Amino acid sequence: MVGGRREEIEELRAEINNFLNTVERYNSSNLLKFQRYVELQVTDNFYDLEANLAVLKLYQFFPQLYQPDIVNMILLKALTNLPHTDFVLCRCLLGPSQMEDLSILRIAYLANLLELCQFKKFWQEKAQDNTLITQISGFDDSIRKFICHVVNITYQTIDRGVLKELLGSIPDAELRSWIAKNSWKEEPNGMIFIQSQEDLVKTKNITEKITFDTVSVVM
Amino acid sequence: MSRYERKDSQRSDDRIYDDEYYGQYNEGPVYEKDYYDGYGAPAPPKTSYQYPDAVAKFIIHLYKAINNRDTAEIENLYEIRFPQLTKDYFKEEKWPSDISHLVEDQLFITLYRELYFRHIYAALPQSLSFSDRCNSYSNYCELFNLILTSPEPIDLTLTNQWLWEIIDEFVYQFQSFSQFRRSPKLNEDEMSYMKDHSYIWSVMSVLNVLYSLIEKSNINLQLKAYFNNESSDGVAGEFGKSPLYKMLGYFSIIALLRVHSMLGDYHLAVKVLENIDLHKNTMYCNVPACQITTYYYVGFAYVMMRRYADAIRTYTNSLLYMQRIRQMFQAKSYQNDQVNKQTEQMYTMLAVCLVLHPQSIDESINAVLQDRKFAEKIARMQAGDLKEFENSFLFACPKFLSPVPTSLDGAAPEQTQEPLHIQKTIFLQEVAQQIYLPTVRSFLKLYTTMPISKLSAFMETDATQLGECLLCFKHKMHNVVWTKGISSLDGEFQAGSEVDFYIDKDMVHIADTKVGRRYGDYFIRQIHIMDELHRALKSLKF
Repeated sequence: MVGGRREEIEELRAEINNFLNTVERYNSSNLLKFQRYVELQVTDNFYDLEANLAVLKLYQFFPQLYQPDIVNMILLKALTNLPHTDFVLCRCLLGPSQMEDLSILRIAYLANLLELCQFKKFWQEKAQDNTLITQISGFDDSIRKFICHVVNITYQTIDRGVLKELLGSIPDAELRSWIAKNSWKEEPNGMIFIQSQEDLVKTKNITEKITFDTVSVVM
Repeated sequence: MSRYERKDSQRSDDRIYDDEYYGQYNEGPVYEKDYYDGYGAPAPPKTSYQYPDAVAKFIIHLYKAINNRDTAEIENLYEIRFPQLTKDYFKEEKWPSDISHLVEDQLFITLYRELYFRHIYAALPQSLSFSDRCNSYSNYCELFNLILTSPEPIDLTLTNQWLWEIIDEFVYQFQSFSQFRRSPKLNEDEMSYMKDHSYIWSVMSVLNVLYSLIEKSNINLQLKAYFNNESSDGVAGEFGKSPLYKMLGYFSIIALLRVHSMLGDYHLAVKVLENIDLHKNTMYCNVPACQITTYYYVGFAYVMMRRYADAIRTYTNSLLYMQRIRQMFQAKSYQNDQVNKQTEQMYTMLAVCLVLHPQSIDESINAVLQDRKFAEKIARMQAGDLKEFENSFLFACPKFLSPVPTSLDGAAPEQTQEPLHIQKTIFLQEVAQQIYLPTVRSFLKLYTTMPISKLSAFMETDATQLGECLLCFKHKMHNVVWTKGISSLDGEFQAGSEVDFYIDKDMVHIADTKVGRRYGDYFIRQIHIMDELHRALKSLKF
């Protein structure tokens, strides 16, 4: 990141935060700054849900100011924050005509694949949308991070080949770096040890615990 | 009419909070003349209709009670006498619109006019005219104007119930107008009038009022102090110390929750509550309708955010609260029907959540869901019947609005249902993504370990598809759950599902949940009931 750029981001971030805390968030003359902030999120790979929702809200209030490119960026950025449900939150603010926009339908289709954890198909389909997606710096890795999260909560041991495919058939070196990043372990038999799940996933016996707080209302 | 002409009617690029804005309405009493008189129906004659003495007496009584700050009498007149008189004399007619020969006080007349319009909306919807809608709006402007532009807190005492109903009705009429504006019922005159006066019932003007009341009362600072067990005197300020401003501020926060929800902005809806601790019995609100509204909208926002555990907790708390207060809660207000409807809606949404995210809940609430009406719905949803999910959603969801007139967002005028359609579509897509999970769950429940191959034979699918399905199961059951802190947005990822599992190589290991019997809730409820009974007995005179 170039020095001047970082300063611009920090300044804008402070300003946007001030807007968000007051009624300035509904002021359409701040829209240019909000939009610039979205563009910076795209090029410099950071993320601010609250600011992005405020942009969509301004479009909702002032449809004549609607910018399809910015909305695409916001929706794609929302996908990078999976497993959080940001994409749904953003989509709920779109209007009827926008829902039928082809790019938005396409992004929604990709989002659906991710939500269904059909990762193999996602990587195949994604390859067709490169013009839309390449602008989002760090997009693929954010998605891989989400996939690793799902693997992490599901598996104790996973087949190396399966994992590689889930992550988009990445080269071995890259696979190794994801394994290291997640503190997973390669085992000699072509398996990868994720984490011990026995303690995390176990049969629960719910017996009642009555806290003092619950009883205090009748004391 | 000219005094209502505004060049900057859209106020699109102006600040929202602006004292001048309120000043616009200060130039003359609105009630003297219907300011929208440019079409069909003639204004009703002012004095031809003679109303009974009881009505005049009531109005004068109410005025005196307010002047004397006699809250018990105000409560009696507002909550019992007014509905009674309405039933006796105004079942099919409007209350007198002009009372200036009885009371001259400007503020009181505005309050009375608020009741007058509210009665038309609630009881005489067929005779609710376009000019009623516009005049009611300008009456609200006048009322909030008096409250917000006064150099010092105005000296007015009303009950919390009344204050809540003013704010609640204000939002309701905004919602009603937003839908009306998109309906094909409008004639040409009305269309052109609205085009020239687009600020009337605009989303900006409504937000403007709510934010101004919140700001004026310093309510957020007061709530923060309250949460930290500190005195709010230091932060309340001159206005915030007055119960009138404080409660209007509090109710405006709840109104914002509602407005944002109706616009589909669930994140902001919950965020505006960030200084309200929903887990504490708050001294701020002894108005049941307000509590229920809060829970209803927060619960719904949680559902849309896929925070089912939080939604279930919110609905359960609310429904338990309802059970507790039902005995004390009398049918004395317009809002009783609304409260009953919201209760039904919450049970329905709770059923939806429990199908998507099974977990054990309070037994007395569960007992209601075992009832035939809900049990059949639940069975259909569990069997993957999307239509049933849709019906439940349509019954239980809030009203959804588009913040702009149709001409602006390109939708055809008949598409008043578009905003609802969008929210419904998004919800049903989420459900569709999860539609196979109950089936997976039912197979998992049968075993403690099971080879992948066996499960895929049960599911009639191949190993790859099953793998994705199992990943999806874990992903969807792993949601943000509130754990601590004042903001209801906060939380951490937790797996709250009743049936959980993990995959080790080719083997699925399953963990079920066994729930022991619970006694605490039962006893606490019984203690409450006895307590209330005891209190009721004590107040009886023999």
